[in-house]
Amino acid sequence: MAKQTSSGAYNLPIKSADASAARRVFRFRSLLRFDAATGVMIGVSLVTAYLVLPPLYSVIQTSLFTTKLTGEIDEFTFRYYQELIRELQVVGPFLNTIYFSAGSALFATLLGGSIAWLVTRTDTPLRGLGYFTAFASFGTPFILYTIGWLLLLGKAGPVNFWLKTVLDQPGPIINIYSLWGMIFIESLLWSPFVFLMLAAAFRSMDPSLEEASAVCGARVWQTMRRVSLRLMLPAFFSVVLLIFIRSFESFEIPALVGLPGDIRVLTTSIYLDAQKLPPRYGSAGAFSVLLMFVVAGTLYLYFRVTREGDRFHTITGKGYRPALIHLGRWRYLAGAGLLAYALVLLVLPFLIILWASLLPFYMQPSIEALSRFTAKNYVTAIHFPKITDSIKNSILLGLGSASAVMALTLLASWLLVRTKMRGRWLLDLLTTLPLLFPGIVMGLAILRFYLFVPIPVYGTLWILLIAFVTRYIPYGIRYTHSGLLQLHRELEEAAYTAGATWSNCMRRIVLPLVTPSFLGGWAFIFLLSAKELSMSVLLVSPQTPVVSVAIFELWENAQVGELAAFGVIWTVILVSIAVIYYLFARRYGVQQS
Amino acid sequence: MSLASQRLSAFCVLIALGAGGGLVPSSAVATVEEIALMNRPDRQKILIEGAKKEGKISWYTTLIVDQVVRPVKDAFEKEYPFLQVEFFRGNAERLVQKMFAEYQAKRYDVDIIDGTVSPTMVRRAGYLQRFSSPVLAEYPADLKDPQGYWGTTNLYFFATGYNTKMVKLNDVPKTYEDLLNPRWKGQMMWSTSRGSGAPIFVGTILNTMGQEAGKAYLQKLKAQNIAKSSASNRQVLDLTIAGEYPLALQIFNHHAYISKTAGAPVDWMPHEPVTATIQTMALAKNSPHPHAAMLLLDFAMSEKGQKVFQQSNYLPSHPKVPAKQIDLKPGGGKFKRAYYINPDAQYDKGNEWVDYFNNVFMK
Repeated sequence: MAKQTSSGAYNLPIKSADASAARRVFRFRSLLRFDAATGVMIGVSLVTAYLVLPPLYSVIQTSLFTTKLTGEIDEFTFRYYQELIRELQVVGPFLNTIYFSAGSALFATLLGGSIAWLVTRTDTPLRGLGYFTAFASFGTPFILYTIGWLLLLGKAGPVNFWLKTVLDQPGPIINIYSLWGMIFIESLLWSPFVFLMLAAAFRSMDPSLEEASAVCGARVWQTMRRVSLRLMLPAFFSVVLLIFIRSFESFEIPALVGLPGDIRVLTTSIYLDAQKLPPRYGSAGAFSVLLMFVVAGTLYLYFRVTREGDRFHTITGKGYRPALIHLGRWRYLAGAGLLAYALVLLVLPFLIILWASLLPFYMQPSIEALSRFTAKNYVTAIHFPKITDSIKNSILLGLGSASAVMALTLLASWLLVRTKMRGRWLLDLLTTLPLLFPGIVMGLAILRFYLFVPIPVYGTLWILLIAFVTRYIPYGIRYTHSGLLQLHRELEEAAYTAGATWSNCMRRIVLPLVTPSFLGGWAFIFLLSAKELSMSVLLVSPQTPVVSVAIFELWENAQVGELAAFGVIWTVILVSIAVIYYLFARRYGVQQS
Repeated sequence: MSLASQRLSAFCVLIALGAGGGLVPSSAVATVEEIALMNRPDRQKILIEGAKKEGKISWYTTLIVDQVVRPVKDAFEKEYPFLQVEFFRGNAERLVQKMFAEYQAKRYDVDIIDGTVSPTMVRRAGYLQRFSSPVLAEYPADLKDPQGYWGTTNLYFFATGYNTKMVKLNDVPKTYEDLLNPRWKGQMMWSTSRGSGAPIFVGTILNTMGQEAGKAYLQKLKAQNIAKSSASNRQVLDLTIAGEYPLALQIFNHHAYISKTAGAPVDWMPHEPVTATIQTMALAKNSPHPHAAMLLLDFAMSEKGQKVFQQSNYLPSHPKVPAKQIDLKPGGGKFKRAYYINPDAQYDKGNEWVDYFNNVFMK
């Protein structure tokens, strides 16, 4: 059995006398391995197809048919596509959408990437803060996070108040209800995702390549640009693609931040259209079908680029633990940068939410307001119907969907990266498509599917689990795919040569080595599923309440303070789980690799 | 519900079955329609006997659980200890979609559905059952369906909310015309919500001023650059309390009142005629617990049930039950005339109002 030495290299217990026998065995085993791969391929494809195809069918059907009041299919129509094309010809919203998505993808990647580099590759003080901030900020309910920023940066908010005083200006300085405001909040929301993925990639960097560059006289920056960053192309592609697409099709930030400032994007009219009765999701369907073509094209190109996977291998049989870069005096500046990141991403919005939760009604921060502090909102939040059941269910669902998604996508990525099966990029496409399904259409599709199919999951937690797993496959695949691309084939081959079975090799070689990506993806999906709303609102039953729906209820009907109190409680619970998880991962997972 | 009380109610059911089992007439096999339209002197007795066998009710509601659903449930279960009310809360669109999907799969879980527009949608799909209830006679014509498809439980009145620190009472716009004053340009916000935001405002103006005058008014209002938000009108009001916008258009008057009572610098100003929407309650066509469902409908609309709405700070629709804060309802001193938007009209015209809003205010 292969054993890892302290240097990270593998001692293979093969003696030269047995070489020819070993070769025979190897040939035999590679035949077996092929069978295992085929088996896995069939299994993974079937599961993925079962999860993804019914909603895919629904999305396409929604975009091509009008519906009756009851939701039944009525007449075939191209109307939604024609409307969409007309909408695309209006320059303003289209350009705004491009600016918004590209800007968010760019800033989030820059921000999350820089922090990931500082945390994993340099000797900056306070590095642990990076992980904590990422987990914690992602634990804050989405709506609350946005509201927090609106209160902070609003016309009457504290930031504008201080700026006005300092700059001695009569009017507000910052206008949050603008394209920049939208990009700012959206990038902040996505930066933890970038951080988790790029931190994993940076950790798995091959130092010899960087050392070679340094030996050749390259400066740190040159090495970064020409070696490190190029090696991380798959990870970069993943984050940019996901953020660009998610921002392109997002309703929430454009509606909450853009709409008050009259910044219209492509989804604004879709959002307003969906308010009509009977509900019309045709435009949303057509929009997502159009995006599917764009994404299919992009994925195909990406697949061509990464086909020569060898170029991205950084984890080989040699020791790969990257050396820390010494920043010298700059390290204090870098530490200050990390603090600033934590302050902006986490502390400020959390403080304003905490502030709001302690007041009977929202007041701008002031001494006078302190005298009004009350725990009333917390009493209301704790008495929210079935709150304990909701918390239990949400945590169960998070654990279940994160584990299931990561297991499924690790296998799928292994197939994509390791095997030469033709058309495997289709599997990649299949696993990416759920990213594009409008949540409400997907929720309805799953609801209808399980009302008609005789599998008794309707009204149970299982239907939510199925929905969540389907929804989050795209994130899992990007994490595991970029992680596996860094892993050189030789390690697995060594294992097979030494007589390992396929499952042994997966369990003892592949899984430990991709741990950083795996755990990063797991945590991300766990936190994401705790927020899922658009499908949950349709799929929950009186017996299966979840937290995100409770928060939505409060958002629609309650005062800001009650929503904030509930949000604070939930954030604290999620962050505690995230911290325990992080400590656990650090002890048993990440360091072992 | 505690275990002890569960046991108690189970015990009650057993007693009831034992004692009354032989006495129940052929109504045990009556259809939902027969039960719903029953009009005989022993109606109450038959309903109770039937309900004892059913044991529970499933209520799909758009009302706020914490504020009013739970108090109503508690009061009702106190009245009929052998019944358990289960509720599923969601916004109108989601509730209706869930019910439609279930009905198409022939899964009949729901007994009662409520909302300002959801019962109308369900009725159009053919999934509602007409009912008759003795309490309906106590209601005026515009607060019940002439064919008996729905009754009302509570009312919502729209007003302009204002931040009392930013706007003096004398300056607050009092009429629709006052909203056109140039000083309010860029100072107002409203919600885009179909059922409780700007589209309802558009509808009221077009209906009460007439198409032509209404459209002329709305064009002028457009020039005021009202900020739009997809947030609910409750959140828009909270932004006004926070000082982001001095005026919040089209908010519920009782929301402003509740915040004011808590000490917030906010109050409300009606513009006559005041727009009102009505919360209706209806019976599902294939209600699995029709006896119990009829008891809940009777209770919610009775004076006794309406007092529960009143005590929860909701505005009861029963003419004899005033609001807890009396001036929140018409004739209470602050405004006289209300323009009730009929649920059918809201459903039929709603899309036009949304379109008009999108075309005029979103460009």
